Amino acid sequence: MVVDDHPMWRQGVARDLAEAGYDVVATTGEGAQAVRIAPAASPDVVVLDLQLPDISGVEVIRGLLAALPGVRVLMLSASGEEQSVLDAVKAGATGYLVKSAGPEEFLEAVRRTAAGDAVFTPGLAGLVLGEYRRLAKGGDPAEDDATPQLTDRETEVLRLVAKGLSYKQIAARLTLSHRTVQNHVQNTLGKLQLHNRVELTRYAIERGLDSPD
Amino acid sequence: MAEHPNGTFQVPLWRAIAIFRFASMAYVVAMVAINVTDYAHPIGAIPALTVIVGWSVAATYLYARPAWRGWPLLGTDLAVTLVLLLASPWVVGRTAIDHGIPSLAVAWEACPVLAWAVSGGRRRGAIAAVVVGAADVTVRPNLTPASNTGLMLMLLAGVAVGHVARLAAESEQRLQRAVELEAATRERERLARGIHDSVLQVLAMVQRRGAHLDGEAAELARLAGEQEAALRALVGGRAPRQRAGPEVDLRAILDGYASASVSIAAPATPVKLPATVAREIGAAVGAALDNVARHGGSDVRAWVLLEEEAGTVTVSVRDDGPGIPAGRLAQAAEEGRLGVAQSIRGRIADLGGSVEIISAPGEGTEVELRLRVTE
Repeated sequence: MVVDDHPMWRQGVARDLAEAGYDVVATTGEGAQAVRIAPAASPDVVVLDLQLPDISGVEVIRGLLAALPGVRVLMLSASGEEQSVLDAVKAGATGYLVKSAGPEEFLEAVRRTAAGDAVFTPGLAGLVLGEYRRLAKGGDPAEDDATPQLTDRETEVLRLVAKGLSYKQIAARLTLSHRTVQNHVQNTLGKLQLHNRVELTRYAIERGLDSPD
Repeated sequence: MAEHPNGTFQVPLWRAIAIFRFASMAYVVAMVAINVTDYAHPIGAIPALTVIVGWSVAATYLYARPAWRGWPLLGTDLAVTLVLLLASPWVVGRTAIDHGIPSLAVAWEACPVLAWAVSGGRRRGAIAAVVVGAADVTVRPNLTPASNTGLMLMLLAGVAVGHVARLAAESEQRLQRAVELEAATRERERLARGIHDSVLQVLAMVQRRGAHLDGEAAELARLAGEQEAALRALVGGRAPRQRAGPEVDLRAILDGYASASVSIAAPATPVKLPATVAREIGAAVGAALDNVARHGGSDVRAWVLLEEEAGTVTVSVRDDGPGIPAGRLAQAAEEGRLGVAQSIRGRIADLGGSVEIISAPGEGTEVELRLRVTE
């Protein structure tokens, strides 16, 4: 499923996907519509432009994951939208690509997202590193154990991703397997997303938004 | 002193002066009516009252037009008041004044003082008050505590009203600047949205579709990609840097280096540094990137990573170029060519930070700048 408000882009991306042998089950230019048709279209991967005219990328991702648990979201966005990219990742998107990426890079990202891998750009790695450090610094002492932390190895891997090394290069440099590098990257995202869900739940309970039964 | 041309904030002040002018005029008329029998030359009261009433109407009419509030009007206003004051000894008579009968201008003489103060601030108000006060003193044979108090109050009024008028003018200017800035920002955002939705998408599209092709078409696609990145940086830039502020966001400076071949990774939150420090780090990163472009060729890519942790800012610049052969930097220094290493190390050392350059042939080069910042 392709969600992008620009028709030319939408068609171009859909055509590239179709040519590469993917089945494009739906295309739309509106986030609300994407959430609405997702259950019927039942895509494995959603290619999502973060800047939609109607609702925010975070809302789309939450809606998609609620409608179709397990769906993979690959975000496309322009550079210079740091906070929204980070929010989208915390909301559950597992892949991020800048719009200027070439078609090969794009198809590779779709393939890996479909396989359940986290797709990082150096920019996203920098954002995620920054977010962990922000959480560590501003950590409320009472919830120390709830604040997600990176292991030294995960920090090392993320820094290398942010400096533009491929997983293969990282594996070679740290003498790890390719799979292990991938797992480390994935864990960094997983912990952030879990923390985000915990925070949301806590917020909901504090505000009395949960149902008591 | 023509720094408040429109002065909408001053409109209430001018209106207040007009009201005071008529109120004091009524007071003067009443005083004259009561005391005219004791005047030395009662006949003089007729032209005096005509002038007071006539000038009150004329001045109110003229001051209502901002363009007329210049020196000729202010001067005439003051002159009319002085003439009335100086005519008082003859019309009222010195002995009558000495017996406590008010002069022809009484409270009315404060009008030009207030007008001067509103038009030009404290200093003008004080000058007018002193001039009117001096004239008032000369027509009195004896100074009494009451008359002194009146003069002091007039001086106080001139200064205080002038101060308020100046404050009003300044607030108005500040408000106007804020409104202009907001309008400019909103317009810029509107343009950015428009460009984002149209031109950028098409340029990115051209780059994308052309990437398959060979020769000239591929070159066009590449150019479209470069323009897309440049335009995006232009319209998507962070809010304009506050030049005067003591701290700047290092991310904004590093963002300036982003291009099709340079990727910038940074936290989502600002990395605030003193302006001079941030500029030096920016210059050091710029030197490192220049070096990448010079030695690596056009297809070498570079990555900049900005991190801040526990009071330390780290900026890494990595490229995938040919790398620097071992000993090359030392050799260059020995030959007296100070180049990139010197420029980068020098700048960062001056800030009290450290630089590490790691490189191996075929593995690119990595320059890491570390600087402790006090939080």
